[in-house]
Amino acid sequence: MARRTMCKVEIDGREVEVPRGATVMEAARRAGIGIPALCSEELAEPYGACRLCMVDADDGGGRRLVAACTFPVRGDMKVETSSERAVSHRRMVTEMLLARWPEAEALLELARSQGLEAPRFENPREDRSPHPCILCGLCVNVCRDLVGRSAIHFSGRGAHRKLELPAAGDDICTGCGVCVAVCPTGALALRNDPNNPHDGETVRRAGMEITREIARSRGRQSRLREAGTVHLAGSMNRSGRLPVMNHRMGSHEDAAGISADAFEGKFDAGMPDDCWLGCTLSCRKGVSGFMPKTGPYKGDEVLVEGPDYRAAAGAANMGVFDPEFVMEYSFYCTTYAIDVISFSASAAFAMECFEEGILDAESTGGMELHFGDADAALDLLHATAGSRGFGRIAGKGIRFMKFYFEEHYGADPAFLDDIGMECRGLEYPQCCTAESPALQAACGAASGGYLQDGDWPLMAGLGEEAGQDPEALAQAVHSSQLWASWFGLAGLCALPWTSMDPERAPERVESYSSLFEAVTGREVSPVDLLKMSERVHNFRRVFDLRMGHGTREEDRVPYRAQGPATESEYESRSDRYDRQLKDEAGIDPAGMSTAERLAALRKHREELYSDLLSALYRLRGWNGKGEPTAGKLIRLGIDFPEVLDVVKPGG
Amino acid sequence: MTLEELKDLQEKARKRRQGYEKVILVCTGSACAARGSSDLEDRLEGELIKRDLSSDCLVVAGGCLGLCSEGPLLLIQPDGILYTRVAEDDLRDIISQHLQDGKPVERLMYRSGEKICPRMEDIAFFGRQQPVVLENRTFSNPESLDDYLAAGGYRALARALADMSREEVADAVAASGLRGRGGQDVPTGMKWRRCHEAAGEAGEIPFIVCNADDSDPGGFKDARIVESDPHALLEGLLIGAYAIGAREGFVYIRGEYPLALKRLGRAIEQARDRNLLGENILQTGFSFDVLVRRGAGAFVCGESSALLAALAGLPPEAHDLYVDPTERGFRGRPTVINNVETLANVPRILDRGPDWFASIGAGEVSGDSVSGSTGTRVLGVSGDAANTGLVEVPMGTRLRELVFDVAGGAAGNAGLKAVQVGGPTGAVLPESGLDIELEADALAGAGVSLGSGMVTVMDRDTCMVRYARYCTDLLLEESCGKCAPCREGLAAMSAILGRITGGAGSTEDLGLLEELGSTMSECSICGLGRRAAVPVLSTMRSFPEEYAAHIDEGRCPAGQCTELIRFEIEEGKCTGCTACAEVCPTDAISGEPGETHVIDDQACIRCGMCRDVCRFDAVEVR
Repeated sequence: MARRTMCKVEIDGREVEVPRGATVMEAARRAGIGIPALCSEELAEPYGACRLCMVDADDGGGRRLVAACTFPVRGDMKVETSSERAVSHRRMVTEMLLARWPEAEALLELARSQGLEAPRFENPREDRSPHPCILCGLCVNVCRDLVGRSAIHFSGRGAHRKLELPAAGDDICTGCGVCVAVCPTGALALRNDPNNPHDGETVRRAGMEITREIARSRGRQSRLREAGTVHLAGSMNRSGRLPVMNHRMGSHEDAAGISADAFEGKFDAGMPDDCWLGCTLSCRKGVSGFMPKTGPYKGDEVLVEGPDYRAAAGAANMGVFDPEFVMEYSFYCTTYAIDVISFSASAAFAMECFEEGILDAESTGGMELHFGDADAALDLLHATAGSRGFGRIAGKGIRFMKFYFEEHYGADPAFLDDIGMECRGLEYPQCCTAESPALQAACGAASGGYLQDGDWPLMAGLGEEAGQDPEALAQAVHSSQLWASWFGLAGLCALPWTSMDPERAPERVESYSSLFEAVTGREVSPVDLLKMSERVHNFRRVFDLRMGHGTREEDRVPYRAQGPATESEYESRSDRYDRQLKDEAGIDPAGMSTAERLAALRKHREELYSDLLSALYRLRGWNGKGEPTAGKLIRLGIDFPEVLDVVKPGG
Repeated sequence: MTLEELKDLQEKARKRRQGYEKVILVCTGSACAARGSSDLEDRLEGELIKRDLSSDCLVVAGGCLGLCSEGPLLLIQPDGILYTRVAEDDLRDIISQHLQDGKPVERLMYRSGEKICPRMEDIAFFGRQQPVVLENRTFSNPESLDDYLAAGGYRALARALADMSREEVADAVAASGLRGRGGQDVPTGMKWRRCHEAAGEAGEIPFIVCNADDSDPGGFKDARIVESDPHALLEGLLIGAYAIGAREGFVYIRGEYPLALKRLGRAIEQARDRNLLGENILQTGFSFDVLVRRGAGAFVCGESSALLAALAGLPPEAHDLYVDPTERGFRGRPTVINNVETLANVPRILDRGPDWFASIGAGEVSGDSVSGSTGTRVLGVSGDAANTGLVEVPMGTRLRELVFDVAGGAAGNAGLKAVQVGGPTGAVLPESGLDIELEADALAGAGVSLGSGMVTVMDRDTCMVRYARYCTDLLLEESCGKCAPCREGLAAMSAILGRITGGAGSTEDLGLLEELGSTMSECSICGLGRRAAVPVLSTMRSFPEEYAAHIDEGRCPAGQCTELIRFEIEEGKCTGCTACAEVCPTDAISGEPGETHVIDDQACIRCGMCRDVCRFDAVEVR
């Protein structure tokens, strides 16, 4: 495991702390100090070819010139980026490059920034192209390190060094365009379109914009690249969205046990992944050589796919905070083809019923289903897979368990409804929504499944600015759901984004519509894209209605998803709930009993949810019962007779 | 094989050699081989059998004897008589006169002026040498494990494995004062210790790598050592591996060294057969094996970082080595990289003791610090020297002695002008700068690096500007081309030097060269780039008047820069022999036989062939 010691780096008088092993360039970035460079890209491995980033450094062994992009910080050190000699050598290197490529805009700009007009000497290999390859190596490195293809390389030595691109038709190049995105001079372009798009040029340009934004703005910060989606478990915990013990809480002090750090050094497979090759996030991970401690593969070396955030959050939901468990759990779910979310929701429900005395060891066939008992959780998983004993009951899901526990063990159906984390018979997602009305609606009023994996980040900050205003909240939910669905329809990943808000990221929204237009040849605006999703949403709703479902009642969520369901839950965090009661509902809890406070908060939250649902229906063009109106279906162009029949009064 | 069995084997091998009255060593180093020495060897064997002398006389196909310019060489032992430029027809005389009648053949002996030098030590070239690394050159066949064993080979390894801890081995090498011969001058024992400790801390098994590509395109020093004594390299590698705790090692060797490759391959096979390599070596529990990796002939691969990249199957490009390979090298594990010559010294140090080694040369060892250099240095002498070849002199030998006494100064009458030390990235020193001791600290103080161990002698007909440009162009071809200062700096320098040798240079150009050179040496990634400007800067410093002549007067004092010279035939000297007119490739020379000839300057391409063929010194360069 890497030593995580922090080192102090003083750069141009500014002090920053960086982990041991970070480069001087990274330290400078953190300090907000720019060091000129042509071959350094945040996402590519340090290369050290252009030598423009030479800085004066002293790490105790005396001042010397080092390349900031490759020099590792190994202790406290001092750096001067603009010492006299650093500046003069940087200028000379620029002059050397300019002598060879006097028309390259990137170099001219670099020269101008240093007050350099024209080189004082010639280069016998002068190239006057305005878009020359300046041998910086960025494309070679991103293709090898990020994309994992090594389709581009250098050939020739010394003066004969040149870039070798894949030959036309060479399938080692997937045309992902990451190289084109990082090229500083515009020397690279994509040719040939195996997919025969309507307008290849625009596809590439739009794709490039998206790639560039992903490569430059995300990646390292979100740790998707290093840890995959499992890193989301940590940020969910920080924002109170990590489902803990059947959604009783949204965070836990032991959450570090299932967050990205707990998996550091374990991932060794799947990077870069086999998803989209050009993706610089490469979130799909794998752990090879894992040895399960239970089940049919006990003691064997197996490959764990992931684990991803669902397995980590699912573990938290069962009260287990152990990376070994997460891997074993993830492995067996994949092996048994059991949905990770459904199982952990069901198991968490069963555990709570066990803790509440509804179930006992007899009814579970000897399983002590306490929260946090990893062995019990795995026992239940193996029993479910084998359809044995209590596993046969749990495997049928929460809705079935609710009926069964009421019928056989005399459990209170209202309590089971409150804590049984299912909605329309489908297990609730691994996301604690109690603090976010918008997320509740996103789950409760989902048109198909709930949050898709890839949609989760898009939903993460949902409605934060809307506060308690039902209309604003509904607007946020509406737009997010449409975008999330559209990504699914278009076969694209929404993972890179936390926002598709046209006001916050107009270029991003624009990129996707021009991408769609260029692929299909259909002229579309961002609004048109969302209309596609709307059609699907409405069509699904009509289908549900025809099958006797899709009612407003079915769009409700279990109360646990909205707030504290029991007095003890309320009391465990009474400060927070009291404050919320005051701030959200304007009710002063002073002098009220816990039961009264619980009821007051519940009333407020259920009312807000109901208002939000009404507002959302209005935005969708539905009536108050949650049924699409005929007018809406006509406007969407899905007014087929049998569709209209369903929504017609008396139809 | 056990330690006891090894001792037996060594004893038997020695006895077998002692059974011969005479041993005839035929030099089969690359230079002599190129002149047909292996045919000599076959023929000699045949003749000896024919004359029934084969039970008394042993023919040994030996390693490089060093005096390459006088090859093919034959050494008769134990007499120590050296025959030079031996042809097949000479063998008969050698056999009948020397081997049968005991009368050495005078006409085949080396002559220094009128003086005949029968033995190696009579020849000035060998007189000042002190073979340590090359000590087996007068004894063994490099392809014979028996010969190596007879010479005491693998005794040091046996001792290390049987009686010494890893730490003691590193300590002994540290106490000898041995410093790396690859150019960095790092004390070898310290390097081993550092790697052993780093590996211990990281809980990893380290690697040891022998850099046998540590040479410029014209360099041959390390190749000759491998050719001449591959087992010494192997034994040094094994001892190093033991000291650091490596189980796997590599020899990265240039693909264009076919003879070295062949002999190293054979030595490895022999060592594996005898359990000197592989599992449980000599049944001491130590296991180690070595892989030979052939380099693809890039000069830059001799540079540690590029070598590591090439070894890992990556493009042979330099990268910043801010973290020492002894901490994180091949496959991210602690790695020792040692030069061929360094490793070949190791068995001798362990065999004869660190104090013996430290007493040779010009170094002081106290505790863990070494000042100066102990031991010897193997150097390749080339260029215009009277004697070219491979030499081994004690550290501290003055460069002047090496150049004049060993190498015999410049051949011919032109006289010595300059010496470049360390291959094409080496400093070019004027004659007045030769009073410098060959020893790490003194050299470093003078800004000179022995680098690849090549010493190139230049006579007065060499134009320094042109030579600087030659080095620059060569380096531009050999640079990996990754970093801008090396690649573009060399290109810019070449263009400027071209301007100067073409008579279009200006005084500002000199300032530009200084500036370019400074940035190249400060900012380039690797040693090649950092030293790439040395030939230019050192010639500018030592021969400013020659640069000035080109720039200010449009004149090349050495008469080499074709754009600046004219050939004229001097009346009075020319006898009208027509020799020049006959060789002139452009028919630029006219004249009746017996009359003074004339060169048409328009047609003349300044190839200089007329000057070369003129026996009357009538062709003048102006």
